[in-house]
Amino acid sequence: MNSFLRHSLGRIAGTTCAALLAFGGLTAPTPVHADETCNSPFMGKLIKGQEDFVYVWTLGIEGVGDGSDKLVTIDSNPKSPNYGKVIHKLSVGRRGEAHHMGFTDDRRYLWAGGLDDSRIYVFDVYSNPAKPKLIRTIADMPAKTGLVGPHTFYAMPGRMLVQFLSNTKDHGGVTGMAQFTNKGKLIRTHAMPTDNGGDGYGYDIGINPGKNVMLTSSFTGWNNYMMDLGKLVQDGEAMKRFGSTMVLWDLKTMQPKTTFSVPGSPLEIRWSLKEGDNWAVVATALTSKIWLVKQDGSGQWQAKDVATIGDPSKIPLPVDISITADGKGLWVNTFMDGKTRYFDLTDPENPKQTFEKETGKQVNMVSQSWDGKRVYITSSLLANWDKKGDADEQFVRAFNWDGQDLSLAFEVDFHKEKLGRAHHMKFGTKAVRAAHGPQSTPVRVAASDVPGR
Amino acid sequence: MSRGADLARTFLALALTSLAPAVAAHQITPPSADFVAPAAGSYRLERIYRAPSGRVVDVHGSAAPIARYTQGRATLLSLMYTQCNDEKGCPLALHTLDVVRKQLARMPQAKNRVRLVSLSFDPARDTPAVLRDYAGDRVRTLPAVPWSFLVPAAGPALGQLLEGFEQDVSRANGQDGTASADLSHVLKVFLIDRHGWVREIYSTSYLVPQVVINDVKTLLMEDGARFP
Repeated sequence: MNSFLRHSLGRIAGTTCAALLAFGGLTAPTPVHADETCNSPFMGKLIKGQEDFVYVWTLGIEGVGDGSDKLVTIDSNPKSPNYGKVIHKLSVGRRGEAHHMGFTDDRRYLWAGGLDDSRIYVFDVYSNPAKPKLIRTIADMPAKTGLVGPHTFYAMPGRMLVQFLSNTKDHGGVTGMAQFTNKGKLIRTHAMPTDNGGDGYGYDIGINPGKNVMLTSSFTGWNNYMMDLGKLVQDGEAMKRFGSTMVLWDLKTMQPKTTFSVPGSPLEIRWSLKEGDNWAVVATALTSKIWLVKQDGSGQWQAKDVATIGDPSKIPLPVDISITADGKGLWVNTFMDGKTRYFDLTDPENPKQTFEKETGKQVNMVSQSWDGKRVYITSSLLANWDKKGDADEQFVRAFNWDGQDLSLAFEVDFHKEKLGRAHHMKFGTKAVRAAHGPQSTPVRVAASDVPGR
Repeated sequence: MSRGADLARTFLALALTSLAPAVAAHQITPPSADFVAPAAGSYRLERIYRAPSGRVVDVHGSAAPIARYTQGRATLLSLMYTQCNDEKGCPLALHTLDVVRKQLARMPQAKNRVRLVSLSFDPARDTPAVLRDYAGDRVRTLPAVPWSFLVPAAGPALGQLLEGFEQDVSRANGQDGTASADLSHVLKVFLIDRHGWVREIYSTSYLVPQVVINDVKTLLMEDGARFP
């Protein structure tokens, strides 16, 4: 990161520190191409109607409730008497920097990870979608793989591909991915490339099976994401250790084909889901840009900066994006200014911002329903990067989108409910019931693993 | 368009020349596959997990351990049910396996080293007689690459096999909230090596004939087969 950006981000973080002082949807019988716009194309059982539940992977806060990370279930069906209320919470009995989640290909199990303790939790969201159960905890990945900080959980047929952020040797950003069976058995690891322009960093995964390609992006290692943001931005050496690449992989061989230079830490990857489209977008956190990865006329993949998000000099910090099912629109959340923006992607080479609204004092994840009519927003980025004092709002806010404005449908105050920091969201449905199959039974992969120990 | 895409579409066009029992060929939309499948043997197929055990019944009503159908040869096994009417589900798998089988049958290296299996998870409706009708002449033709149609035997086999293959099966709720007769599942086709290890799993988005054929070749190459 250049000194100007470092200075700007430091100024904002300093302000933050100063403030401290003061689906009724039915599911399709079989998978089509993608989940509610942002998940693996190998995932089945799309919720194309009204989602019944929003699962929120929540960071515990010391002294708040039981202080542990937890999976919070919110009733999101307007026809329900519990609409907009927390109907279930499942504590994992410890704090490990809860971050992201992902469904298995059959949508029966929800994998969730802790960036600090590197634990992976597997929740059964199928037996009773209103009351998820913890059925498996994988606690020994750092020892087995040398990888730290499981971030993205991406369904592949019968398997889960997990992108890590860091490593056991120096807790820096050089990392890798690991493949598991859906039951949590490690199959193999894949190192992020450090040659041919690769920086070895990782963050998100996006697969386009019709092109036999996988994209990965790059963030930073444990040393940085666990550091207080105010301290981090004053550490010039640490600020150099952010990812600046995306890698295009051959999906079948799992070998890197091309490394793109994408400065400023490219984060979430979203492929257009429109049939025949051959492009994906990503937002860069530190440089506040939208990048397009697309095949050119000769079939070669290229990456280019196509739009600016807000005023990069103010480091709005775009942290999550959500693409519409038709590939024509993109929601962008910027953490620092608390804004939710909408970009018209009709011409992906030239995205145009058409809407913006402050949806919180700090905002992080943004998830939309398949029909694009509902948009959900959470507040927490990382425990040590969230704002301080009154600006440290913690919530899930649900909005209705009529194409012109976002109107608040409901809000759950995670401070008031003594839940913690609201981070990642996934949708649930009660529309499917078991026809066959055994009941879920608790299984532990690592004998030493007991929640709460 | 790439040569690989042409090949993939040619294979799929061939596939669509026969009719599936539940879905007409024109209703099937093959997965988009605009790429050249990586060459056989240029990658490795992981040992994902062991194919499960359990007793199965064939179209003649004869029972046997499923290991008879998952060991000793490279096996392409499709979990299915005959009344599946989703064009991206079981009918697509049936057609794709038809195409793959015809290609494999032309390869001397595959003779008596590869088999296909369609295993129903709907034993209540898929009796041996129903499966026999569904299979048509597939159980009699191309003996060098045989195709067996099976259903779990009575008792615990269904649960064992679904659990072992990690195959979800559920019922969608109807408008009135009651369970539908249709079974919901994620389409899965398994490539199993001759030692009984699942080496690849295909679902709708990646069930591309040339990819499957190259994977089978890759397994055969592990046992010394050579392909020009």
